[in-house]
Amino acid sequence: MTSLDVSHLSVNFGDRTVINDLSFTLQAGEIASLLGPSGCGKTTLLRAIAGLLQPREGTIRLGTQLVGLSSVVLPPNKRRTGYVPQQGALFPHLNVAQNIAFGLSKKEFSQAEITKTISEMLALIGMPGYENQMPTELSGGQQTRVALARALAIKPKMVLLDEPFSALDAELRNELRSEVVALLRAQGTTAILVTHDREEALVSSDKVVLMRDGKIAQYGSPEEVYESPISPSVAVSTGDALVLSAHQAKDGSTSYALATLSAPTGAVSTNNGYVVIRPEEISVSKSSAAGVAGTLIQLDYYGHDAMLVVKLSDSSEIIRARVAGPMDFAVGDLVKVEHRGPIRFFANA
Amino acid sequence: MATGVKDGLAHRFSTSRGEPASIHPALLALVGLLLAVVLIPFIYLIIRAFEKPLPEIAQLLLRGKTLEVLGTTTALLAMVVIVNIFLGTLIAAGIHFVRMPRAHLLIVPAVLPLAIPSYVFTYTWLALIPSLSGVFAAAFILILTTLPYMLLAILVSLRRIDSGFIEVARTLGLTRTQIFFRVVLPQIRGSISAGALLSGLYVLSDFGAVSLLNVETLTVSIQNMFKSSYDRGAASVISLLLILASIIFISVDERIKDKKAKENVFKRLSTDDSRIKSASLKTLLISALGIYVTLALFLPIYVLISRFIGNPNPLDISGLASAAISTVTVSALGALIALLFSAPLGFLIATHAGRFSRVSERIILIGHALPGVVIGLALVSLGSKLGPIYQSIFLLAFAYALLFLAKAVASMTFSLQLVPQVLKEVAATLGKSKTKVTTSVVIPIALPSIGLGTLLVFLTAMKELPATLMLRPTGMDTLATQIWSYAAINRFNDAAPYALLLVLIAAIPTFLLSLPWGDWESKADGTKTRVGSLM
Repeated sequence: MTSLDVSHLSVNFGDRTVINDLSFTLQAGEIASLLGPSGCGKTTLLRAIAGLLQPREGTIRLGTQLVGLSSVVLPPNKRRTGYVPQQGALFPHLNVAQNIAFGLSKKEFSQAEITKTISEMLALIGMPGYENQMPTELSGGQQTRVALARALAIKPKMVLLDEPFSALDAELRNELRSEVVALLRAQGTTAILVTHDREEALVSSDKVVLMRDGKIAQYGSPEEVYESPISPSVAVSTGDALVLSAHQAKDGSTSYALATLSAPTGAVSTNNGYVVIRPEEISVSKSSAAGVAGTLIQLDYYGHDAMLVVKLSDSSEIIRARVAGPMDFAVGDLVKVEHRGPIRFFANA
Repeated sequence: MATGVKDGLAHRFSTSRGEPASIHPALLALVGLLLAVVLIPFIYLIIRAFEKPLPEIAQLLLRGKTLEVLGTTTALLAMVVIVNIFLGTLIAAGIHFVRMPRAHLLIVPAVLPLAIPSYVFTYTWLALIPSLSGVFAAAFILILTTLPYMLLAILVSLRRIDSGFIEVARTLGLTRTQIFFRVVLPQIRGSISAGALLSGLYVLSDFGAVSLLNVETLTVSIQNMFKSSYDRGAASVISLLLILASIIFISVDERIKDKKAKENVFKRLSTDDSRIKSASLKTLLISALGIYVTLALFLPIYVLISRFIGNPNPLDISGLASAAISTVTVSALGALIALLFSAPLGFLIATHAGRFSRVSERIILIGHALPGVVIGLALVSLGSKLGPIYQSIFLLAFAYALLFLAKAVASMTFSLQLVPQVLKEVAATLGKSKTKVTTSVVIPIALPSIGLGTLLVFLTAMKELPATLMLRPTGMDTLATQIWSYAAINRFNDAAPYALLLVLIAAIPTFLLSLPWGDWESKADGTKTRVGSLM
């Protein structure tokens, strides 16, 4: 397994810049998620790393090996990146064993070694005995597992997963995601997972590369991008977020609909802007004396928790708060709302 | 500094996004050479035609006889195409939408008449009704002959319609008739046009049926000029007129197809739930199919068998075997040459979207417009300069390859496009070189479909008559030429064994072509590989 260094990468489709001066690094054995909305360049970046696209500018290094830059490109068959596209893309004319052995050259491996690798890979993905099954005889989840085994069989420098779980139903998706991540971690595999599912990105990876319009909006650990977003839009991209108008005074205190909080540092200039609050950082109570008064206008029940929507009495702000069950709220209740988390203030640009 | 994406696999496989990939110089040279070969007959005709002074050409084109022949050809073409569109759409829609047990098997008897060439149809019907002749009789025979092309083209298109559209239309209050005209018909318009093109080109190039029924079309005129006066300049002028008619016909189809270019987004949604349960429609469909199959299959076969049994002359087994072997050999060789020619052309069109591909496609389509008699004329005239190839089965096989190259290229292109781009990319990331990706992924996946396309060319070549008559080596008879020789002098009993054998041999590939093929192929991109997709 190896590290990845993407430096000042730009990719164009004709005149349109799809990836623009993008840089990030990944340590050996780390799993990163490329997270962002459709069309932000996630798959293009993955394909450039795989060698399926040639960049306009910038460099890509796998470990110490320079594999891609604008003028010279190491072809995909020389990079040893295990690529797992959507729905697995198993070769329809080959059975499971032949799919797994596809990347194992008979010049490099004896038949005994190939057979052993197939058995190991099938054991790894929990599908021993499936050697002779054809892809059409497998479920969607099994196809994804075999595609991963096929990618891992070549002992790749890194594994590239392009929304491999997107076609699966929610239950299978979560189950398979956990299995795949556990498998990658057990193998110590460096991997990149393309996803537009923020929960999947946070739960699966060591690093999140949050992309927007072909650039990195924020790069860091899941905790960093979730807890310390660099902008309100990044906060919204990584989870539910409440963005409230705010004012920061010269003494450093911040006023917003839920509170006025003083900051010990002071000595800042006056600013208008926004505070970002996660819904789970807000407490809602029918009996508490503390907090700002409001009326519960909507209740979305999810089983494990619920999202309460409260209209504040003294302002036009709408507050969304996540509360764990069991609970005794009903629409129309008069409640007190209190912010119990960090202040994330973003001044207007 | 480069300005656009260069796909890492671009030398061979274009991507769905990004700019067209560059064409390898070797491929470029090979395709250029093949296109030049395809154009040889066309260029020859132009040169020969313009050896005549322009006033003479104008006089030839505008004389009453030419206009009369042109009028007859156009009327015949219009009758066959219009009836085919109507009947083909009706029967195909019936097979697809009326709920019947094992409905998919209905297509097999409806397609089997493809094994019977028009001159055998004509001969069997003449044996039944000796007074049969004229343009209406020719239209009747050619409708029987070409209806399967229309049926197959429309059925393939109907199978690709997403049943969701039909369900939505039903929930929006449309009746079944309204759904057919407002939802289904716009989506199959391109295929109706393709079926009309295939039927129309068949009519334009047909020689056997019209000749036996005493209808003088452009093809017959060319053959007569060639045979009677050896005035190849005049024959070339009329050939160019025939090519022009074919090109106009192809252009109309291209325009219709262009408008519907987006329809070929493959879906795999069943229409089972939208099938109609109606006893009267079921009866109507079975009746229509029954009448067609009786007229186009049972009656001809009955006539052939009864003539064969009733033939008082001893059966010339060695002549029959020799003709059968010649037919199969030369047709197989022609199909093989077409396959070899189609590989680089189909590969270029399937993988490189760009001006050169578009131009290549157009040139191949011009080849499609060259009827057998025209190719025959051009190659006979060139033949004397070709040394040992002249008067050999290679020249005839080469003529078949040129005649049916458009079919072979369409099949090759379709087959190569069956291979999803992502599979090639995955193979490349698993360490496979470009050559290895082709041999281990592209060819195995495309091969069954390419095989069907080659089978289609083989089948069509076996039935070919006018070029065979002109180019066969002296002393060599094929089943087609033997049928023609006997039928032309009304020795129907003697023609029967040759016709029966031709139909029997042709029925095997026809039957194979009418079946649904390979499960994994169909699941690769959600469509089924059938002959209709190849045409």
